[in-house]
Amino acid sequence: MKSRGSVRCIIIINNKEKEGVILTEQVAEERVAVKLNEEYCSRCSICRSLCPFEAITRDAETGKIILDIEKCQVCGICYSACPARAIDTIYYDHDSLISYLEKAKPEYGSETLVIMCKGSAPDFAEVGRLFGVAKFIPLSVPCVGRISDEMFLEAISMGIGKIYVLACDEDYCRFERGSPLAGRRILALNLMLEQLGYGKETITLKRNSLKVKVDKDLCISCGNCVYYCPYHAPKLESEGGISVDLDACRGCGLCVVMCPAFALELEHWEEESISALIPRLLSEMKPPRLLVFCCQWAFFPPLDGKLSPNIRVIDLPCAARVDPIHILDALQKGADGVLIAACSEEDCKQEKAGGKAQRLVTKLKERLSQIGFQDRLHFCSVAPRYRDEFDKQLGEFGQKIEDMAKGGSK
Amino acid sequence: MIVTAQKPLDEILELISPYSHILIAGCDGCTQPPRGIREARTLSQLLELGGKRRGKNFKFKVTTVVKQCDSILTAEALKPQIEGVDAVLSLACGIGPQMVAELFPDLPVIPAQNTHFMGEDDREAGILRENCSACGDCILALTGGICPVTRCAKGLLNGACGGAKDGKCELDPERDCAWELIFERLERLGKLDNLKEYRPPRNYQAKAWRLAP
Repeated sequence: MKSRGSVRCIIIINNKEKEGVILTEQVAEERVAVKLNEEYCSRCSICRSLCPFEAITRDAETGKIILDIEKCQVCGICYSACPARAIDTIYYDHDSLISYLEKAKPEYGSETLVIMCKGSAPDFAEVGRLFGVAKFIPLSVPCVGRISDEMFLEAISMGIGKIYVLACDEDYCRFERGSPLAGRRILALNLMLEQLGYGKETITLKRNSLKVKVDKDLCISCGNCVYYCPYHAPKLESEGGISVDLDACRGCGLCVVMCPAFALELEHWEEESISALIPRLLSEMKPPRLLVFCCQWAFFPPLDGKLSPNIRVIDLPCAARVDPIHILDALQKGADGVLIAACSEEDCKQEKAGGKAQRLVTKLKERLSQIGFQDRLHFCSVAPRYRDEFDKQLGEFGQKIEDMAKGGSK
Repeated sequence: MIVTAQKPLDEILELISPYSHILIAGCDGCTQPPRGIREARTLSQLLELGGKRRGKNFKFKVTTVVKQCDSILTAEALKPQIEGVDAVLSLACGIGPQMVAELFPDLPVIPAQNTHFMGEDDREAGILRENCSACGDCILALTGGICPVTRCAKGLLNGACGGAKDGKCELDPERDCAWELIFERLERLGKLDNLKEYRPPRNYQAKAWRLAP
């Protein structure tokens, strides 16, 4: 059950373009993370009806399906739903997921697969506790809506006995339709598998969301969270302190960073757990050390991708959770450079909360310039829709840091 | 709230250079932007980085006080912290360092802020405005809630000077003429008669330096 698309796609990945060459239309096309192949397209319009971002349209005259990559957020829903396999993606496509499973099965020594959306998944151990399983193959993807029927079935035919899926709550889904789609898919698959004699509920779905937590004892009633929250979740109480409407909270983390009293925390992205991660990552890096704080929707790491030994990435729920304290922590503990990778304002999945991050970073940079550290911090906005955008930023900033290290200046 | 701006880090580094163990004391009170525990920690990180580059190895402790202008709260919050500390770096407005100096006569205290004014925080516009200068003799009831003492460049008490142009002050074309604002507001409230009342020169003695709470 090889998908035709992904084979071509791998050729594109290997076909690295040379730097400095002006992109021809064809090369520019190859940089793109999602592609629609007209040759295979049956013009059924399923992709168009499922795309949450209106990136897919149908030409009224010719009936051709057209993908506008500028609107595409690379959720992979169209890829997982296309009956003609006319859509290619370079992230978590069928073949790479299967080869990951082939490798991971003996490695983890388990026949239980846990597929989780990284938007709502706490750490792997916590996910295990949620489902009550100790040993499992973890598979973290940006949105479980990108996992196709075919993928579930092939996993089962490979000997996976039980699949747990952790999706976001439906209204928490960053790709709007990913989580509801996964729900419908699993319902239908379970019915089919039961008829085939696999028993009830081969695939178990659970929904989860990561939201803000308030420590009322620490709150100083300054109202910063009320002002900054893009979802109007916190409210100032008349008797002092705040209350948070957790149904409204979408877990961007902006309030956490804006709270002057450390009274707010975001589940799974607690101040201390990120702080603890920084020295751990720095200790396994080689100089010049480049630490990246990255919005989890701005860059999708490859499943088996190995990062260069001088680069490590810390995923955040949104660039809004980029905390000046963590940036300074990294610089204090020996990072030679800190890169902040955010989505552009138009791509932000959190009501433009990420845009506030840029302002915070600019402010911090201004303060760093007073002590001569301004060149060690760089902000960029990238999108997974162009596969080399992030690499390019890494390369340029990495080079800058290397030059600085060579020049002896700190 | 009290509007403060942080001193340049260079200046702070210079001021703390004679000391090595420094307690950074935030203030959760009315300083804007908030200078609580987060700001204290961020500043300690920045000063540590900046100090290293100057060959200084500062050791910082960070804490915060609910209101540094309150003697009891400040004493309670800082007393357990000052053991082994050479100096206190205060993030409060100008009151804070003076309170610390009074409470701890043997401990040097350094302000991290320049204190500017009592301000109104217009969050939508991202502006802090000085609308009250604490004159001690409030006439807002007569002027429709707009203070001519602070907002009129000349501090006039009895109407506009005649120099305003298109509603803007002759001294600063960016600045609204306070008396035009007062006129419009009183007109709206149907209280233009207020303007007929003559207000004698202000009682500057009312700005007392010591008051019982």
